[in-house]
Amino acid sequence: MTSLLAITLALFGAFALYIATQSAKSESSPAAYIDAGQSLPAWTYIFAGSGAMLASVGPYDFLRLLSSYGFQANQLALSLVFVALVMAVFQKRVWLAARITGSRSLGEVFGAHYQSTSIRIYLLVVLFLFAVPFAAMPLGSAGELLARASEGSLSRVAATSVVAAFLFLASALGGWRATVYIIAALSTVTLALLVFSASFASLVFDGLSVFHNGFSVREGILGNVLPGVIQFSSGIGREVPAGGLWTTTAVLSFALATVGAALSPSFAFLGLTMKSRSGFAFSQVWIISGLAAGALLLLGPIVAGEAGPAYDFAALATRFAAYDQLVGAFVIAMLMAMLLIAVAFFTTSGASIATIELLQRYVVLGLTPRGERFTVRITLAVIYAAVLVLAAFLPAGTAVLSTLALPLAAQLFPAYLGLCWLPWMSRSAVLVGLILGSLFVVFTEPPGLILFNGLFVELPWGRWPLTIHSAAWGLVINVAASLLVAIFTRQDAERERRNALHAVFRRDHRTNFGGRAARNAKWSLTLLWVFLALGPGAILGNTFFAQPAFTEADLSLGVPSLWVWQASFWIIGVMLVWWLAYRSELSTVEGAFRVRELQDLHGTAGARRQPRWIALLVTRLATRQNDTTSRTQRLR
Amino acid sequence: MLVMSKIDALDRHALVLAVWLPLVLVATALFHHGFGVGGWPFIAAGFGVLIVAFAVHVIVNVMLGTLFTPREVALGLVVYCAALLAFGLTTLASPAFRTADAVPVSLGFLATALAVIITMILWLGLRGAFDSFDVIRRFKQ
Repeated sequence: MTSLLAITLALFGAFALYIATQSAKSESSPAAYIDAGQSLPAWTYIFAGSGAMLASVGPYDFLRLLSSYGFQANQLALSLVFVALVMAVFQKRVWLAARITGSRSLGEVFGAHYQSTSIRIYLLVVLFLFAVPFAAMPLGSAGELLARASEGSLSRVAATSVVAAFLFLASALGGWRATVYIIAALSTVTLALLVFSASFASLVFDGLSVFHNGFSVREGILGNVLPGVIQFSSGIGREVPAGGLWTTTAVLSFALATVGAALSPSFAFLGLTMKSRSGFAFSQVWIISGLAAGALLLLGPIVAGEAGPAYDFAALATRFAAYDQLVGAFVIAMLMAMLLIAVAFFTTSGASIATIELLQRYVVLGLTPRGERFTVRITLAVIYAAVLVLAAFLPAGTAVLSTLALPLAAQLFPAYLGLCWLPWMSRSAVLVGLILGSLFVVFTEPPGLILFNGLFVELPWGRWPLTIHSAAWGLVINVAASLLVAIFTRQDAERERRNALHAVFRRDHRTNFGGRAARNAKWSLTLLWVFLALGPGAILGNTFFAQPAFTEADLSLGVPSLWVWQASFWIIGVMLVWWLAYRSELSTVEGAFRVRELQDLHGTAGARRQPRWIALLVTRLATRQNDTTSRTQRLR
Repeated sequence: MLVMSKIDALDRHALVLAVWLPLVLVATALFHHGFGVGGWPFIAAGFGVLIVAFAVHVIVNVMLGTLFTPREVALGLVVYCAALLAFGLTTLASPAFRTADAVPVSLGFLATALAVIITMILWLGLRGAFDSFDVIRRFKQ
């Protein structure tokens, strides 16, 4: 199997390098290197966007959770439908706002709308978390998987380094465009091989037995049901929730965390680099909530069921290889593709955004396109070096730091709401919400807990107390604080500027919810779906199809009642997203817009202002070898 | 047909590769298992996957208003002929090749050729379909 795997991965590597060189040859100007000239075709969003979204949620980790917790963890697949709903609400308007205000990244959009440097800095922190520790996690897993699959031929560090080197080379050669193409191809590979391996397991050996016999989970874990609505445990690390972690509250709060992937600066950047918004609705409805969620929900258990409670994926591949060596190699290739999508996406987008938001803005102003390309490559090299060091040598620290990425990105929810729908959401409201929400996140995740427990006193709670994810703890206080502050600051000095964008939305890009009753019905149904699919109502699924209400008789479906419940709400969820994205025109293309219509009005936030200490530092570094001009001349 | 810029041509090329890459992997795995212990259902499924990939390629062409490029046609013809030749030689020369596999493989080759020809005629008409395979003239252009 090792040689077959080596050939398959070499094929991936050759493909990536081929696409990168073709892309480099085809770009007419170096200016397009950083963001593909904001002209990526819609199909790339459909494939790469969905793949990146799936990779952010972590199909690899999802399979691990399935192996450990059984069907209660399968409920998490419905989070993707929820994410698609949130994307339908925001994605198109963010794209429009960027075009109307002439912005190139999420930081510029928010900076222009809220006139806030603090929000930009917050976005850079979130970007760093995604680009370095969050990307290091899948890279480390990929290295470990490859090392185990190579049966000792490659060490973990060597495997991680080889993978990182190939990804870096492809991204550095081809830039953002090539990276998106590669991610798109890896996404289709992942999906096709997931369908294939699940079908193979079902046809060739007893892969479907997991639906009849359940997962072989550890003692004390309830593999076929959700372990309650909430558990009053003091959190992971302090108390083990009885029956398993995934109560309905944990599932709903996890779904809120996954929203962080859609709200992350990287994912927004992908959307902003699209030529048009025509791929948004298709991606949200049919690919993310349809194909991706469906594949995880229906096929995930078949693959994960074979991995066993130790979630040993190398052993899983060996099981496939016992029937066919090539299939075993392809299972490893599928898992590698899942992991590499996340690495390539977050590192390359991180380099591009850091160049736009940080380096071009504050450090090296007035870059030529060629200089800009060079800067992105250097930034990419630095990011890859950091990611490699973390993945190869500091796996524990990486795991701790990466936990912050999704929940902190989810805290941007009120900022998105203000940008897209609520002009009265002021800068102060967003900032207060962000600060308080982030504090709650940090102190319900390992970094805050470890730091506080180590430096001061032992906190009485662990990670995710009451089985509530840190993102939900943060969002509750964040939204409450934002609304409260917005009441008092809604008519602040910046209101006119914010109104201008929303006036354009009202003028050219109205939604079509129908009448008042239709609007209420749509949002009520959405809330009802969330309650029954992810929220407390999901507890009904434990027995709904096995011991139906209003009857004494028991049904014997041959599959867990919970799984049928999940599949039903997946189908309903897809219809709901379709209703909002297409019928309500939240994501469809309608109305023309004037590019940079509000650039002048929002322009002050776009003005580049280099802090004096950075100017001094850059000048000192740049002219040290040729110190012929006077200091005042250099600073002028 | 549209005249494509360099970037548009690259977009299309990347899309075509994103379609073929996973499906060729799946087809390879199916053939591998089919020629091993799997038997004819897996071989038939392998050809089925290749035909699906071709159909998606045609859909891409229709949506983008393009034709198969000369390189694609040349590659397709070379791969098809090489596979046919390999199959013929293996059948004649290799004692390990099971005669039971000869029928599904022959039918698979036939079905693939028919699918390609019928699709091309329906899509481009008789003359257009013939022109598409006239690779040498198109290379000269």
